[in-house]
Amino acid sequence: MVGTRREILLGGLALLGAGAVHDSALAVASSYFAGTAIDNGVTYRTTNFAKIDKRWRRQVVKYFSSEPVGTVVVDTRHHFLYLIMENKTAIRYGVGVGKDGFKWFGRATIDQKTLWPQWTPPPEMRQRHPDLPEFVAGGSPKNPLGPRAMYLLRDGVDTGYRLHGTLDPSSIGKDSSSGCIRMFNEDAIDLYQRCPIGTAVQVLPHIADQAESAAQVSQATPVQ
Amino acid sequence: MSAMTGYTRRLLAAAMLLALAACSTTKIASLEEPTAAPMTGQTNDPAPGFENVAAGSEEDFILNVGRRIYFTQDSATLDSVAMATLDNQAIWLNKNPTWLLKLQGFADDSGSASKMQTLSQKRADAAMAYLVWKGVDARRMWAKGYGNDREVRDCTERSCRVQNRRVVTNLRAQPDAA
Repeated sequence: MVGTRREILLGGLALLGAGAVHDSALAVASSYFAGTAIDNGVTYRTTNFAKIDKRWRRQVVKYFSSEPVGTVVVDTRHHFLYLIMENKTAIRYGVGVGKDGFKWFGRATIDQKTLWPQWTPPPEMRQRHPDLPEFVAGGSPKNPLGPRAMYLLRDGVDTGYRLHGTLDPSSIGKDSSSGCIRMFNEDAIDLYQRCPIGTAVQVLPHIADQAESAAQVSQATPVQ
Repeated sequence: MSAMTGYTRRLLAAAMLLALAACSTTKIASLEEPTAAPMTGQTNDPAPGFENVAAGSEEDFILNVGRRIYFTQDSATLDSVAMATLDNQAIWLNKNPTWLLKLQGFADDSGSASKMQTLSQKRADAAMAYLVWKGVDARRMWAKGYGNDREVRDCTERSCRVQNRRVVTNLRAQPDAA
C-alpha cells in the first residue's frame, strides 16, 4: 500500500521534471544514512537509525544462557550479537550474517583488531566476483569492512572471518555476507572498545535460550 | 546553575550519610555494592532500567559510553583503545556534572597478592589522572585498587584472564564512606 503510494508520488514528481525524480531517487537510496561523523581522521556516513527497526539497535537485555562474562556470542538464526555482561545481562547488537552456503559456526578469539582496516578480498571471493579489486584501502568509502575489524583466530590460525562494519545498513538483520559478521558502523566502533585482545567468540546457530523460537522460525521459513 | 545546585545537594546528602555512617558501617558497605535483585523474565527482555534509556542516566553511560577499560598483563599503561573509551567518558561526565565516580582497578593473578594490589591501584590511578587531564574535576572522583579480589571469574584461560585486567568506572550519587 505504502509502496504503491510512493510510486504514484514518484510518478507525479516525474511530471515536474526529470531532475526532481533523480533527486528523490537518490534520497531514497541514501536514506539509510544521515549526516557524517569523523573517526580517527576519517569522515564516514552515519547510520540513519530512525529508519532501522528498533530490534536491530544496540540495547541492554536480559541474557540467561550460560556463556561467561566478556564472551561475544553470535546468534546466527536471529541476527543478534551479544556481549555478555554481569548479572545475567548482555549488550545486544543487530548483525548481518552469512548467506546460505556461507554460514560458519564455532569458537574463536579476537586476536587482532584494526581501525579503518584495509580489505584484501580472498581469492575465492574474487573468483565469484571478478570485478572486485585486489585491494581496498582502509578508510575508502568503498571498503566494506567500515571503521573497524576484529579478526577471529582459532588456536592462533586465522579463520578468515571477522566482525566488522558495513557499507549497507539495510543488510543488518539479514543473511547477506560471505560468512563475516556485519554490524552498523557505530556498533563496530562500540564493540571494538569493549573487546580486549583475547576475547572469546562463539558463533552459534542460535543461543540455547532461543531454541524454541529457532524451531518456530525454521518452520515458518518457506522452502525455496 | 541547576546542575550546580544538584551537585551541592548531593554533597549535602553525602555529608548527612557520613554522619550516619559513624554508627552503622555495615549499611554503608551494602550501599557501596548493592546486590543485584535475582533476574526473572526471558532472554531478550530489556534489562531492568533499560526499557527507556534517558540521556544522562547511568544506563545511558553503560550503553552508549562503556564503563570498562582493559590492560595488558602486568601493565598499568593506558593504550589507545583505553584512552578512546576514557575520552568518551570525559565528554559524557563533563556534560553530566552531577555524577560522582569511583574508579575500580582490578588485576589477574600473574603475581603475588601484594603486587596485584599495587598494580590494580596503579591502573585506577592512571584512569583517574587521564580523566582529570581531560577536564573532569578531580573532586568528583576516587580510585581504588582491588588486586585480584573480585575477579570476573577465577580462571586460567586467556580469554578469561583478560577480563580481570581492567578498570571499571562506576557512577556514584555520593562518596563512599571513609
